[in-house]
Parts: sequence; C-alpha cells; structure tokens
Amino acid sequence: MSDASYLSLEKLTLAYGDTVAVADLDLDIRKGELIALLGPSGCGKTTTMRAIAGLLPVKSGRVRLDGADMTRVPANKRAVGLVFQSYALFPHLSVYENVAFGLKLKGMRGAELDAKVQAGLKSVGLSSFANRKPAELSGGQQQRVALARSMVMEPKVLLLDEPLSNLDARLRLEMRTELQRVQKETGVTMIFVTHDQAEALALADRIVVMKGGAIEQIGTPEDIYNRPVSSFVADFVGFENIFPLEGGQLRTSGGLIELSGEAPSAAGLAWRPRMVTLGTGPFRGTVRGTSFAGDSREYLLDTSFGAIKAEVEAGLPAHALGADLLFDLPAEKAALLSKFS
Amino acid sequence: MFQNRAEALALALPAALFAAAVFLVPVVILLSDGFRSPVGGWTISAYTDFFSNTLNQTVFLRTLKLGALVTVVSAVIGYAAAFAIVNLEPGAKGRMTGLVVLPLMISPVARTYAWIVILGRTGIVNQAFQALGLTEAPLRILFSETAIFIGLLQLFLPLMIISLISALENMPRDAIPAARVLGANWFQVFWKVVLPLTKEGLVIGGTLVFTGCLTAYITPAILGGSKVLMLETLLYQQVSVSNNFVSASVIAFILIVMSFAANILLKRVATARNKMRSQP
Amino acid sequence: MNARSLFIPATLFLVIAFLIGPFLIIVAASFSAGETLAFPPQGFSLRWIAKVFTVESFQASFAMSLFLAIGGTAAALVLGIPASYALSRYKLPGAEIVRTVVSAPIIVPGIIVGLALLRYIVVPFQVGITLALFVAHTALVLPYAVRVVSASLDNLRSDIEEAAVLLGSSRLGAFFRVVMPNIRGGIMSAFILGFVTSFNQVPVSLFLSGPGVRTLPVDMIAYMEIVFDPSVAALSSLLAFLSIGIVFAAERFLGFSRYV
Repeated sequence: MSDASYLSLEKLTLAYGDTVAVADLDLDIRKGELIALLGPSGCGKTTTMRAIAGLLPVKSGRVRLDGADMTRVPANKRAVGLVFQSYALFPHLSVYENVAFGLKLKGMRGAELDAKVQAGLKSVGLSSFANRKPAELSGGQQQRVALARSMVMEPKVLLLDEPLSNLDARLRLEMRTELQRVQKETGVTMIFVTHDQAEALALADRIVVMKGGAIEQIGTPEDIYNRPVSSFVADFVGFENIFPLEGGQLRTSGGLIELSGEAPSAAGLAWRPRMVTLGTGPFRGTVRGTSFAGDSREYLLDTSFGAIKAEVEAGLPAHALGADLLFDLPAEKAALLSKFS
Repeated sequence: MFQNRAEALALALPAALFAAAVFLVPVVILLSDGFRSPVGGWTISAYTDFFSNTLNQTVFLRTLKLGALVTVVSAVIGYAAAFAIVNLEPGAKGRMTGLVVLPLMISPVARTYAWIVILGRTGIVNQAFQALGLTEAPLRILFSETAIFIGLLQLFLPLMIISLISALENMPRDAIPAARVLGANWFQVFWKVVLPLTKEGLVIGGTLVFTGCLTAYITPAILGGSKVLMLETLLYQQVSVSNNFVSASVIAFILIVMSFAANILLKRVATARNKMRSQP
Repeated sequence: MNARSLFIPATLFLVIAFLIGPFLIIVAASFSAGETLAFPPQGFSLRWIAKVFTVESFQASFAMSLFLAIGGTAAALVLGIPASYALSRYKLPGAEIVRTVVSAPIIVPGIIVGLALLRYIVVPFQVGITLALFVAHTALVLPYAVRVVSASLDNLRSDIEEAAVLLGSSRLGAFFRVVMPNIRGGIMSAFILGFVTSFNQVPVSLFLSGPGVRTLPVDMIAYMEIVFDPSVAALSSLLAFLSIGIVFAAERFLGFSRYV
C-alpha cells in the first residue's frame, strides 16, 4: 500500500438492479485526507459513498482500504463510519446508549465502555445530554450525537452524507469548524458527500466532482474554483459565461466571434461574471437586467454572444436598463476547458 | 431499500405460502367446484340451475337490494353525522368519533342480539306502538327484511361515518365558505363542492358497507331467521341442511363476484364523475 | 335557536342513540331479575351475570376463543412481521402478489374461507377441529397483522438499520436491536386488533366448529336458539366491556388509533 492510496476504488461499477449508477470509477484517497464528493443529485456521489460503506453490493471492480480488499467484506466488519443525512439515531435509545451501541457490540463493557462513551460525548460537547432521547435534541445536537457515535468506533474512514444541508446558516459554520477540528485531532480519513460547492470548497482538502456516474475532475479547492477542466465543473462553480472554442474563435449563439486577445488552445473558455471587463472593450451589449447584491452589482447584457453576465463593484456608477455598454471577455483571464459538454 | 432477493423471499414466503395453502388454494378449488360437470369437464349448468330456482332468485335479489339500500341510507345518514361531528370542538369531536367507533369493538353477536329485545313481539317497539294505540296485536318485525335492514345499518354505519369524517377533514378548509360567497345555496354547496371533494371517502365507505352487508352472516341469521334468507345464510343452509356443496360453491362465487364488482363499480362511478367535471 | 343550530345536536343524538342504544339496552337487560329477556328489565339482580360463569359450555368456548385469539394472533404476527419487513424494506420480486395473497382473507367472506378449509384441508387431511380453527383464525388475522405492522415500519426510517449495521451489528441483530423496539407499539396494536377480530369472528368458525369444540360467539348463537334468558345479554355485556376496556387501554398507552 502506498501512502497515496489508503482508500482506493478500482474500476468500481455500481448498479441498482439493471440501472448502472456509477461506471468504472477510479479514485485514490490518502490517509487523513478530507475529501468532498461534489455533484448534482443523480451524479452517483451517494451511491459511491454507500458502496464504500458496504451498504450497496459492488457490481464489478474493487474497494481497497488500508491494504485489504474490502469489496466483499460486509458493512458491519469494515470499520467504516457513516453519519447519515437524517442522522439515523436510534429513537428508543438515549444519547448515551446511542453512542455506546457499537462499542457494546464489540464486547466492550463496564468502566472502559463508560470512559469511551463519556469521552465521545465530551468531544462533541454533549456530556450533559447523555440521558436525553434523540427526539429531545435539536437537529445540530442530533448530528453531533451521530458524529460521536461513529467516531467512538475509531473508524478507518468516516463518511458523511450531506453533513451541513439540514442545518441553518449559523450551525452550518459551527459544524464546519467542528468537522475540521475532529479531523485534525483524530487524523481520520473523511469523505463527505455534498451538492453545495461552497461547502466543498470551504471544507475539503480535495474535491471530487462527479457527473453522470463518473468523475469529472479531482483537485484542490483552488484547482476546482480557479481551473475547472470542463464546462460542467465551470458551470457548477459559478462560471456563467461559457463558450466552446473553434479554430481560435468562440462559438456563440450569435455565430463565431474573434476574441480581442490571442486565443489559447483549449476546447472552451469560461469567465466568471467578475472577469468580464465592463465599460471598455471591443464588444457592445445592452443592459437587459440588473441586480444589486450588496458589495457588487450584476448586469445581464444582450450581446452578439447571446446573454452575458457581468459583475462589477457596487461603488461604481450604475448603468440603467437599456444602456449600451462596451465590454470585453479578456482571453488571458479565462479558465481553459479541456472538455466541453 | 435492501437489494438481497434471497433474504427478502425468505422473509416473505412463509406468510405467503401459509395464506396460499390454507386460504387461496382451498377457496379456488371450492369456487371451481361450481363449474365442474358431474360427468367430467366444465359446465355452467350449476349456475343456470341456481338462478332458475325462484327461492334462489328471491334471496339473490334480496341480498342485492338490502346491500344497496343499507349503503345508500348509511351514506345519507353518514354525511349528516360526519358533517355534524367535523364541526364540533376538537375535544368533543374526539369523544364523538370514539362513540361512533365504539360499536365496532363490540361483538356482532351482542350487537345483533340487542335488536331481538327491541324488535321482538314483546320488545320496546311493540310496547310503544301498543301503548300509543297504533296497533292492537304486536307487529311481527323480527324475522323480516326490515329487521335485517336495521341490523345491518347499525352494524356498518360506523364504517361509513368514519370514512366520511376523514374525507371531510381532508377537504380544503375554505371550500364551503368560498362556495357560499360565490352564491351557492346549501344544496349546491353539497352537490357541487362537498360531494366531489369527499367522493373518495364515500367510495371507500360505500365499498366497506356494501361488502360488509354481503358477507355478514350473524345479522341475517339472527334477525332473518330461517325464512328470510340472504346469500350467506342460504350458503350455510345449503351446506348444513341440504349437503349441497355445488350450490354452496355457486353462492360463494356469486358473493365474491358481487363484492369485486361493487369495488370496481364504485371506483368507476367516482372516476366517471371526475372525467365529466374535468371536461371544458 | 334556529333550525340549523339544532341540526347538529339533533343529528348526533339520533345517530349515537341508534348506534349505542341497543348496547345499553343489552346491558340493562342483563341486570334483570326476570326469567326471559326483556326491556325494561323486570327488577334488578345479578343472577344472570352470575349464571354466565356457571354455564359449562361458555367456560369451554370462552377458553377456546381466548386460545384462538391469542394463539392465532401470535402466529399471524410470527408470519406477518417478517413479511411486512420484506415488503417495506426490500426490493421484493412479486411484492404485489405477496401483498395480495396475504391480505386476501380479508376480502373473501369468512363463511367461504371456513367452508373451503373444511372441505379441502380438514376433511382430506384429517385435521383436528382445534388445529383447523387455529389455522383459520391465523389466516384471518394475518391481513390485519401485515397491514398494521407495515404501517408502523413505513413510519420508521430505514437508515437506522444501516446505521446499526455500520456500527457492527448483523442485519438480523439490527432488526432485533433497533427495529423491534421502535415498532413495539405497532405490534401491540396489531395484536389487539387481531385479538378483537378473532374473538368476535363467527362465519369462519361456523363450519369448523365441531361437537364440543366451539368458539364463544358460535356457542352464544347456539345457546340463544334454545334458551331465551338474559344470560346471553349478560355475557355480551361482559365481553363488550372487556373489549372496550382493552381498546381504551391500548389507545391510552399505545396511541392505538395511529396504527389502525
């Protein structure tokens, strides 16, 4: 086992009945990494996570963990933890008994058990809630119980299904910090599934963007945010002006258009609204819509490219609806896409 | 959803096989008996024989008539009762619903038995009629269609009321005031708003009541006696008195067909009205 | 008071009187001191209530009904709980067929079920009366067991089983550790519903009852045909209060009506 492949998925194919959900997926994850599986619903991210946990039988390919082939190892023998999106706490058991559940199954009893459970509860700040039932806790508290319940088992990999999606904005920030702290303190390898790019960017060491049952791009948050390799990823992380390149020209709804600068070699180019130069440039557009977003202002322009979205600092003088503006799509700022779909 | 088929079958098969062995297979064989010719092969002569007998015709039509009558009357009373209950305060609503459901917990034998005391020759009804001078001699109410009708109505009315209560409660709250504001009178409110919106509950209640009437044994047995028969009591007689198993099979088949037909018919009626309304 | 505000109380009074009245009359008649069943009761005594406990056939048939209601319902649950679990949690091939087969005994008139069992199981296989009744009552209660248990399983999120498995439990262990404790209310409700259904059931038992082996309601009908004294009224009242008591307690402690 190399350090770069603590958990590896090799040519993994997963299916529900005859419907293939994930095809020939390869992925290597280092020990102690915090990985985000990012993608829209139906992209196969949850399916992949369930296969890692052993909850979904593998159709073909392998799952290797810490040097051992886990492909046929049942879920209860894998040492993989999972924090469910719904938390899946046992409603009939107290917080304490929920956390003790797995340890008891391991045969742990008495003082050792108690010490472990108490430590687990303490680490998520719920020591005083030990005797409550799950229904008596808030959503955020329930999630921390679920986290403690998985973590006391000292799993090799901790999976989290949409860990922040059920929380309100304040708790979300708190939980983010909490997850990073737990990961730092224990060094556990964490994989979380999310459809929210902001969540993935904020939390992960590396992001795996999935689409249609396959990996679209793997990279650091910086890579994904600044250098999306495909139109799909670009669109997913907020590039709103995306065009294919054909012989150095942009293919737009208004036909082929020559760029102002030297055209790079790529399958397509993408600009965030922020990257569009407004006020000067070789192109003309008409303001069709405008919206104020606090520290910035967005414009929707009717242009020979079709619709272009541009964003400028809010302090600049506003343009009225119907105003004609000059603009530019600077080639040197664009993200270079190698794949266009 | 777990994927393991072998596990799923292992869990489900014991119950399915048990029900098939002790219920489905014997019932299917029983039903097929009525189509078996004594000389081999298949025939419907048992059915033509059955229906050519005037007693059987009477019993068949009586069963149909009483079932339909009890269903219609219970729907009329049921709407009034359900409407009254739904409009009560929450606490009173719960208690009233409880009182409506209560009889369902009591043995049908006990419930039917009570009518003997009420409808018998020296029963309350006859005492009252005689005291009021309405009749000289006691009326013979027991062992008549009227007695069976009353017994069945009392037995199955709760099913209709609770179906209609839940239908009325699921109705959009402001539908009635909205119709009133738009100028509908109470009759129009019921016919154009309440009935279409609670149709599903009516169909469920109606199916329960009608099939209940078809399959009730105790009520016609006790209140109808051996003279005023319904299909169920006729079936029992055919077996225990005449030992006529072919006839019993024919009656069984008719009963099953009738209850399935009632199910389908009531569903049809509901959807047909739906289609009519959705046309421009 | 105008006509409309009178409508609600009047309707309710009449309907409730019609539904409950006969039962109250039975209760009153069972305290009669007279020899025959009559209302208003002639005098007041507990003799008929006392007599119920001395009629030997009532004792035997009560014991039989109790055995069938408890044993049959328990057997139906033993068969029905796994089937409900398979229907609710698994991708079961032929799920609709299984559902239809196990719930069919509710659709077909009881008298037909009883006759079919008698003709094609009891007689050809020489099955004893008690066993035949037991099997019939189990089949009769099975649809209720499956319906009520399925409803409570459907109300329970299935990911708690997966959570238990990931914490080291086997699938079977997960069922007993985290599913059973959470559907206990549903199972108890199914038991009570099954018990009441079985106990009050007549048509299924009619053909299957044999010499000396009868269920209580069948026995009551037989008794009524011979003797017209208030003891059947007394017995009916006692049984009614018993089942009302059970259901009331069930509602109080289990929230019975949530499941039924």
